[in-house]
Amino acid sequence: MTLFVLRRLVGGLPTLLLVTVLVFALTRVLPGDPALLLLGEEATPELVAKLRDEMGLNRPIYVQYASWAGSLLQGDFGRSIRDNAHVAPILWQKLPTTLELSLFALLIALLLGIPAGVVAALRRGSAADAGVTVLALSGISIPNFFLGILLVYLFSIRLGWIPPSGYVEPWVDLRKNLLLMLLPAFTLGTALAGAIARFTRNSMLEVLSQDYVRTAQAKGLGGRVVVYKHALRNAAIPVVTVIGLQLGGLLGGAVVTEQVFSIPGFGRLVVDSVFNRDFPVLQAVVLFSALAVFLVNVLVDLLYAAIDPRIRYG
Amino acid sequence: MKRWAAVMLAIWALAGVAGAKTTLTVGLDSDPPNLDPLLSSALVDRQVQNQIFDKLVDLDENLKVVPMLAQSWSVEENGTAYVFKLRPGVKFHDGTEFNAAAVKFNLDRYRTAQGSRRAGELASVREVQVVDNLTVKVILKEPFAPLLAILSDRSGMMVSPTAAQKLGADFGASPVGSGPFKFVERRRQDRITLAKNENYWMKGFPKVDELVYRPFPDDDVRTANLLSGAVNLITPVAPKDLDSIRKNPNLSATTFAGIGYQGIYLNVNKGPLANKALRQAFAATIDRETVDKVVFLGTAQPSNGAFPPSSFAFDKSIPAPKPDLELAKKKLAEGGKPQGFSFTLTIAPGPVLAQLAQVYQAMAAQVGIQVKIEQVEFGTLLDRGTKGDFEALAVGWSGRPDPDGNIYDFVRCKGPQNYAGYCNPKVDTLLNRARSVRLPEARRDLYSQVMKIVLDDLPYVYIYHPQTTIGLSKRVSGIPAIPDGILRFRAADLGE
Repeated sequence: MTLFVLRRLVGGLPTLLLVTVLVFALTRVLPGDPALLLLGEEATPELVAKLRDEMGLNRPIYVQYASWAGSLLQGDFGRSIRDNAHVAPILWQKLPTTLELSLFALLIALLLGIPAGVVAALRRGSAADAGVTVLALSGISIPNFFLGILLVYLFSIRLGWIPPSGYVEPWVDLRKNLLLMLLPAFTLGTALAGAIARFTRNSMLEVLSQDYVRTAQAKGLGGRVVVYKHALRNAAIPVVTVIGLQLGGLLGGAVVTEQVFSIPGFGRLVVDSVFNRDFPVLQAVVLFSALAVFLVNVLVDLLYAAIDPRIRYG
Repeated sequence: MKRWAAVMLAIWALAGVAGAKTTLTVGLDSDPPNLDPLLSSALVDRQVQNQIFDKLVDLDENLKVVPMLAQSWSVEENGTAYVFKLRPGVKFHDGTEFNAAAVKFNLDRYRTAQGSRRAGELASVREVQVVDNLTVKVILKEPFAPLLAILSDRSGMMVSPTAAQKLGADFGASPVGSGPFKFVERRRQDRITLAKNENYWMKGFPKVDELVYRPFPDDDVRTANLLSGAVNLITPVAPKDLDSIRKNPNLSATTFAGIGYQGIYLNVNKGPLANKALRQAFAATIDRETVDKVVFLGTAQPSNGAFPPSSFAFDKSIPAPKPDLELAKKKLAEGGKPQGFSFTLTIAPGPVLAQLAQVYQAMAAQVGIQVKIEQVEFGTLLDRGTKGDFEALAVGWSGRPDPDGNIYDFVRCKGPQNYAGYCNPKVDTLLNRARSVRLPEARRDLYSQVMKIVLDDLPYVYIYHPQTTIGLSKRVSGIPAIPDGILRFRAADLGE
């Protein structure tokens, strides 16, 4: 088990190396000059040239990459081009926010998605099944910016129950923190719930038609025990896979939702750093997101074993 | 009885807490990138910097230069030396004394520090001398009339020398000035918190205890926060949101005259617009009144050139051009394209900019000029502008209080912001002369001559002067309407 985890982690290193190269190359392909943007209204050709030099942008690209990768190995993400701040503390400052939003959204998605999928599968072809399908597809297809603004209009402006946007750290004011996180988490969560409901339904249908379920029913076991103990557990593998993929995506930052609700997480950091061509910050966030996806996938593999005792890693 | 007393005490304590601290929350349209005046280049930085830092001089409602940390000044040696008498008894937030040495430290830092964005503005300064503890002499290389106006902006912001030396490149993360508010903390993309400077030199100010800035890049989100009461004031208000703010009984919208301009660069070196007659044909189709009414609902000011009506260089005798389709057709024929022609207009993203471009497109279409609209992200837009890689490019200027700052770098041969690639030695001569003359009337005359040439050559079509519209709760009072668009919160108060 430990050996498996170690092997997976080491096996991921080439992937991460490839990601660093890609991230670096992609940021350099963006049109627009960070020095020019940074100088803004004060830009003169001499100042731009001087600043490019100071920022090391005039060096050959492989030298720039090597120096960045070298610092990374020492745990140094460099400094923001925008305000010279160290990148690592910026990431640490944003991490709890993004983590909280992701987990909250995932919780909402699970609470909505799994029961809905189970119900739809058990009553296949009924009105409930059709209703779940419609809701799930709506959840997936309504864009987050639209749902977000709709929720703000309803709950903040019309009803006045929840502040429209912003963020308070949970350790400052937990109640307000949860209140502020509710709408964005719901916005993100509904889209995920849709996908989870669909996968749960399909997987459950497949399992319910298997012989061992019929055997269990024939043994005279109650419907609830059959559904939750025998069927759902066996149906869980594909669902867990989907959840893992989605969680990885969430941890990279919810760009649109964070923008609508003014949540200062990774999503807004990415947008800001793209617009300012703040390469060091952008590279760090993308790299971090890749790492998050990777780690979540290792976690998902471990979960497989926990769910299905036949799966063993050695 | 005992319980009653406890309850009363609790209520009293709560009321006491609620009454003790007043917080004014301001919604901005972006997160200020850098609070160190040395390194700042974004307009939005100045909103926050002006509360933390006092400047040597300030501007009043009529763009007149008025005393701030300098109580008085005199111009000597034929305009090549400025002697400032400083306000006594001023201290920076960290307790450092403000004096002539601090002024010298600041001006020298702006002139020479690595990566300084202020070096260009202060390029005319040869030396800064400490005369006595409260007197500073600034010696120029040659007479430079815009100096005082420049000192009313970031180049005149006085930072604590102690803090700047100690923090170095990190000064922007915890700035220390002598202004009405002290920096407390910032969280990127979330908020900047400032607290009242209890020892502010102007007794009785500021009025509120805490000032919080929050960035909302999206217009709808910014407005939603004002409507719901989560913020007390937003700047700017998108034109489409004016109605919902005006209709709300608790809110009001106020429009400030601006000092910038908006319009279109026309590339004079390549593409169809290199032909002067065709530039004139396109410009003659623009109906500025309609632009103001349709896109800005009457909150912009049709423009006759680079200088807004609030500037002393504004020339009333030059009218904002009216649309003239006959003239446009005549110029098309003169340019050898009687049936019209087509060109690409490059713009930055945003609903208002897209709407504007469509309005220009419809106007030009009346005489057969086809405008193709190309939208690129702002960083790319600047890049293309600098390289001259466009046919027409819509980007404006935030404006500077002195007229020089609105024209010198934009139409001078090889000027850094002269994206159109325009070069006219006569214009250069006039611009340089206007820098060295100090009498406003004489300078206005020179700028009018420049404007007349530029309006004929058309490297740039000046279309309107944006005005800043702010939306605010009716509880907020005491914010002066100064045309540089910066809100000064020194006297701001929050009523019941």
